[in-house]
Amino acid sequence: MKKLTLICTLILTPLPALAHKVIAGVFPAGEAIEGELGFSNGDMAVDQEVIVYGLDGAELGRTVTDADGFFLFTPTRPVAHTFKADLGAGHVADVTMPADEVADILGVEAEASDPPVLAAPAESGATITVASLSDEERAAIAKIVRDETRPLRREIAAYREHNDLQSILGGIGYIIGLFGIGFYVAARKKMTA
Amino acid sequence: MHIVDGALANPVVIGGAVAAAGGIAIGLKSLDLDRIPTAGVLAASFFVASLIHVPIGPSSVHLILNGLAGLLLGWAAFPALFVGLLLQTVFFGFGGLTVLGVNTVNIALPAVLTWMLFGRLIARGSPVHGAIWGGIGGAFSIAATTGFVAVSLALSGDAFLPAAKLVFFAHIPVMAIEAVLTGFAVLLARKVKPELFIKVATS
Repeated sequence: MKKLTLICTLILTPLPALAHKVIAGVFPAGEAIEGELGFSNGDMAVDQEVIVYGLDGAELGRTVTDADGFFLFTPTRPVAHTFKADLGAGHVADVTMPADEVADILGVEAEASDPPVLAAPAESGATITVASLSDEERAAIAKIVRDETRPLRREIAAYREHNDLQSILGGIGYIIGLFGIGFYVAARKKMTA
Repeated sequence: MHIVDGALANPVVIGGAVAAAGGIAIGLKSLDLDRIPTAGVLAASFFVASLIHVPIGPSSVHLILNGLAGLLLGWAAFPALFVGLLLQTVFFGFGGLTVLGVNTVNIALPAVLTWMLFGRLIARGSPVHGAIWGGIGGAFSIAATTGFVAVSLALSGDAFLPAAKLVFFAHIPVMAIEAVLTGFAVLLARKVKPELFIKVATS
């Protein structure tokens, strides 16, 4: 009886969704890097430790996700930041924010050790239009935009994981084709034998 | 069940690829003209089965059907499941290309073991008798797969027992569902097309 109870509790404990893909993303959020971590079925990773690495593999710091699977990390150096998390049972997340994006957050030039990246010419225009606003106003606007776009980002992430009928039919088509080739080869073997 | 890129150590990935290549070679050799359609149908079922998510409590699991593939195909389960896995990786992003070998071994080797252990048993006696053994075989192949996944993770540095327990217990519902499914599949095949098994079991 004790054993049965143990097995039942083990089954009912919220195990990570093993059958799913890990989704992870990072975005600039004011002075910090915001990221989210979860599974493709919508379960977010709660209280998950995320380790941040620099370009050379050196650890830059650690952070922990909140109840919605979001984490914040404040960069100190304008180098590419790689976020890694081990969600157990063969699920690992690995996302990188390029150095120029980190440099934008810090408001400095990217460090020279990084591979050169094409500069986005449109960004200088955006800076001029908000130049008349005070820092607080800009921060407030940035926060509102972030909050407003968060569900969109999540939806896009979920949509990317979506498997539609076309890819299923495409896969089955490939299988039919491959086994058709198998038939051809087998038939030729039979003919020559 | 699908281990992703970057979760395993390099020697495990390479070892898995070599073992998978060996299994596929044996499988292709054993795959004669008559059994190509069976292999194709099972590859397609395996490919689609992973999309059928069964919600269990807070989590959800998907079917694998490797036991059934093993019982019907024997060694030919290797190429069939490899094709299914390859297409799942390319189309759905399950697993990854570098770990394809390890995933193939983790799923196809239990299928072959199931065939070796239960292949003769399901072809003997009454169809119901065979169906019960088929059900046990279906559950066994999932259990073996969880063990293989845990071994792959353990060889890459994870502690074996916690990893094995986690994967095993999460898949108990799949084992139950697959046991029923495989059992009924065997029952139907024994009644409608009994030669499907006898050929496999004696070859």
